[in-house]
Amino acid sequence: MTAPNQIDNLFENLRLELRRGCLTLATLAQLRQEHYGYTLRKALADLGLAIDESTLYPLLRRLETQGLLASQWREEDKRNKRFYRLSPLGEQILAQLLEEWQSLNASIHRILGQSE
Amino acid sequence: MELLDRYLQAAKKHLPRARQQDILAELRANLEAQLEDKESALGRPLTQGEAEDWLRQLGSPMLVAARYQPQQSLIGPAIFPMYWFVLRTALLWALAIYTAVSTILIVLGQSAAPAVPLAILRAPWVLFTVAASVTLVFAALEFLSTHYPALSPPVLQQITQWSPATLPPLEKDPPSSPRPRSFALAVAELVFGFLFLVWLLLIPQYPYLLFGPGAEYLRNSPFQLAPVLLLFYVWVIALNVVQLLWRGIDLARGAWQRPQPLQHIVYKAFGLIPLVVLLRAPSQVLILLRNPDLDAARYAANLHTLNDGIHMALLVVFAIVVLQLLWDLGKWIFEARRNPPAAA
Repeated sequence: MTAPNQIDNLFENLRLELRRGCLTLATLAQLRQEHYGYTLRKALADLGLAIDESTLYPLLRRLETQGLLASQWREEDKRNKRFYRLSPLGEQILAQLLEEWQSLNASIHRILGQSE
Repeated sequence: MELLDRYLQAAKKHLPRARQQDILAELRANLEAQLEDKESALGRPLTQGEAEDWLRQLGSPMLVAARYQPQQSLIGPAIFPMYWFVLRTALLWALAIYTAVSTILIVLGQSAAPAVPLAILRAPWVLFTVAASVTLVFAALEFLSTHYPALSPPVLQQITQWSPATLPPLEKDPPSSPRPRSFALAVAELVFGFLFLVWLLLIPQYPYLLFGPGAEYLRNSPFQLAPVLLLFYVWVIALNVVQLLWRGIDLARGAWQRPQPLQHIVYKAFGLIPLVVLLRAPSQVLILLRNPDLDAARYAANLHTLNDGIHMALLVVFAIVVLQLLWDLGKWIFEARRNPPAAA
């Protein structure tokens, strides 16, 4: 029989797996407007999607390396910050990902509706 | 804030060297903005304890910095299945070869007592070395395929670019349970086993049963068999008696239909004893001169070569039997784990 802490661990692993792709999608979607790391994190949290700093900031770097984001250093409030926004390739990929997301979402709803 | 500076300094050491300053500047800007927000919400600077809690929440500097590294795993998921397969195979073979070689060395050595525990103690180190070598090779392959995909060996590319046409043909499924042996076959084995034992027992009195017409030549030749062969003969007889008894008991119990694989393995293991007896013959001599004083000058050199040859041949046979035994044992363990006996 599975112990309660094993169930918690199992749920946590599956939850992280489920969130991983969604975080990328949400980050790309939010960067249709320009943000630097901290304000992006705050904006996502305000919309109900909290992300750790240690996950979000490296993710921004990775997405930029992949060409999905463009960035530039700029001074704001007397401090240099790196601002990110969606690149043209990022816009194209985001559109495809959103389509996939909606299709998945619709399928899940259909599956859930079928089992009720 | 000194604590934040110390935190960033610790993180810096683990950041990718090429983009270290850039990442650090960005991390600093983000964390300082966050700190400002926290302090303006409180209307005062963070206390030492609050600052420690905040940084603790961010995670250890090493962990935070590690997320910026391009490669997060020593061996990635693409080649891991192959790594796992090669590692298991290499460890199995290493163990088999090490056991065979150690057994031979122990058999050849005169003082087996300290050699056995030494060989057992050395085994983990041998296995560790093999595992480390395999891991090192695969870590290098992973690095190559991540950083220089064009240079990665074709075998790795085949994992992702496989074709269904290259799949091996269907293997014949072994029957889920072997066909039961017939009663007639079990009786025949017992009868022939008994006749074989009688034949063995008659050989000392009637050597021509083994050597044919050569028995006469052997009796008049300048050579004779070494006394150790008598011990070998006794062991062969004993093993045949045990096997015959075993078969007889199976027949009496009505268990002749499905012979136990373990029975076969045990018998094979005991079968090594006569070989060990021959291998440990004094001075590795199995054939002697009947009259050394008379014939040594003429035959000694040839006889020495002959005894050496027989000894080498026995060593090879011994190694083969040990490997067969390990293979059977491995197969038995694998089958036992795959098809555990049903609970009563």
